[in-house]
Amino acid sequence: MIRNASFAAIRGTAPIGIFGIVLIASMILWLPEYYLNIAVKTLFYVGVALAWNLVGGIAGQFSLGHSLFIGLGALLPAAMLLKSGINIWVGMGLAALVSALLGVAMSWIAFRFRLGHLFFALITLAFGELGLLLVLGTEYLGAASGLFLPTGDSAFESVRLNFTGQSFLTLLAGALLAFGVCAWVVRTKLGYYLGAIRNNEDAAQAIGIDLFKYKTIAMVLSAILSSILGTLYARYSGFVDPNVYASPLIIVEIILFTVIGGLGTLWGPVLGAVLMVPLGEVLRGSFGDTLPGLHFVIYGLLIIVVIRLLPDGLIKSLRCDPARGAQISAPRRAAAKADI
Amino acid sequence: MDILFQSVLQGLLMGATYGIIALSMGMVFSVSGVVNFAHGDLITLSMFVAFTLYTVLGLDPYGSVVITVPVLLLLGGALYWFLIKPLAGRPVTVIQLTLGLMLIIQNVLLMVYGGEFHRVPSALENQFLFLGEGVVLRVPQLVAFGVAIVMSAALFVVLGFTDFGRCVRAVHQNPRAAALVGINVAKIQLAAFSIGMALLAVTAALLLPGTPLHPSDGLRYTLVGLLPFVLGGMSNFLGILASGLLIGIAESIGAVYISGTTGMALPYMMFAVILVFRPQGLFKGRS
Repeated sequence: MIRNASFAAIRGTAPIGIFGIVLIASMILWLPEYYLNIAVKTLFYVGVALAWNLVGGIAGQFSLGHSLFIGLGALLPAAMLLKSGINIWVGMGLAALVSALLGVAMSWIAFRFRLGHLFFALITLAFGELGLLLVLGTEYLGAASGLFLPTGDSAFESVRLNFTGQSFLTLLAGALLAFGVCAWVVRTKLGYYLGAIRNNEDAAQAIGIDLFKYKTIAMVLSAILSSILGTLYARYSGFVDPNVYASPLIIVEIILFTVIGGLGTLWGPVLGAVLMVPLGEVLRGSFGDTLPGLHFVIYGLLIIVVIRLLPDGLIKSLRCDPARGAQISAPRRAAAKADI
Repeated sequence: MDILFQSVLQGLLMGATYGIIALSMGMVFSVSGVVNFAHGDLITLSMFVAFTLYTVLGLDPYGSVVITVPVLLLLGGALYWFLIKPLAGRPVTVIQLTLGLMLIIQNVLLMVYGGEFHRVPSALENQFLFLGEGVVLRVPQLVAFGVAIVMSAALFVVLGFTDFGRCVRAVHQNPRAAALVGINVAKIQLAAFSIGMALLAVTAALLLPGTPLHPSDGLRYTLVGLLPFVLGGMSNFLGILASGLLIGIAESIGAVYISGTTGMALPYMMFAVILVFRPQGLFKGRS
């Protein structure tokens, strides 16, 4: 039943989706270089916000430790390329694998016993900081000074396309992968299990859902996606600074984008990142010298406004048919009762 | 051996201050069930207020508590009343809110004071105490330790033996029953939150002598408070204080025996290892 319905939905939206992807991809032809760079950054944040939302929103486990996966994805392949001469795509696979294992380890520590959402947020933040300190102390990963990747060398050297354009396409592929995984998750049994876990862990357990197993699956999927996006973006940006990629601050940003868009919804993280990243970049471009940090203050103020006025995020206020939004986002209030 | 003794002693002194940060988190958590992730940023905010008082009035950081404590008391009260209380029963939303607050405080400080490091000198800053065979202690650290111990003792007395303390414990155990016996729950929560913030203002003054100030330090203070808060079982106050001392010792030993940032990671590694064996924290139970 569900299968058929979702296939029908996919068949119905497929032409629009393909048209949309082609339209976005065509940006490399007509968007000026400066804006294309902003678009690349936006795609990275769309991807990682989607990946974070899988654990933080859809499964309702508020992780503050995803910087581990992004940092690992950014630093490990870069270090392997520079220090050991290993192809960056091989490194990307390896980093994704290590991230998956790390995700399992983190889940094992946090989810073995039901210790509550606040506890999970607290210990993942501590793990994120531990990861940053360990990276800063590891010479192989560039320590505190970071790594410089040569831009331009890549698998597509034969293609006549400048580096920003190439990066735009790889990041678009990464973001689409993240979107695809999330769309698949919310349409399958796994998504319903995760939704049940988010809304009421006691009830979910009572009807026979293995809490530990499904939370861990969500964590691993999210870790792999975050790591892959970390690699893709590091390859584009050239300078891999551990204080950016492995810092808990990047997670705070991602969470704010997701919450502004709509926590736990499929399109929320996309909307949040697409609105906030360009806004932040433009603000940074115009006020970076006189008022550094202004864009962060605006992010912070916006999140307070959104929480107070639109507790379900911007996406809920855009939706014309409430039923579709309700599918995964409505019972947040109920979920909150089961917290602590 | 002297070095070990010195680093343990120094860690113990620092740890008491971390314990106070964690106690303030525990105080807020135990009555309202929320965790404020902008805790450390309120400490930096208070430090910058002290810095301004020093540049304008030439006030010693220890003297500036006369102003920073009321400022944070009021700010904390306003924060609780207007932002956190409306989100009652939704602790995860409060996390999101306080993460936003963290960005706001950090970057407003950056815009006002710039990205350079600042210092607030104190009269006690360069005083040392020699304890025989090469063990040297900085007087500001001794002061911090003494004040932290006195403050936590006062907190325990207040919580254990006064009407206010009994109300706090009642709200902690069962807010609905507390309301039924006539306790004004919202007022108790407001008071606990404000007192928690005032503790942070005192902590800021204790940390100031000899510590360089930077707007982005807040997260670090949040983290050193968070570790003992979790290890101490989140609402066991004695456990939280003991864990603070433990984290302080781990930090100081890591700094002395392991080079660079890997040494700074020692408390976090210890934290992770303890959680593997005791996920509920070192000290379970309620105060």
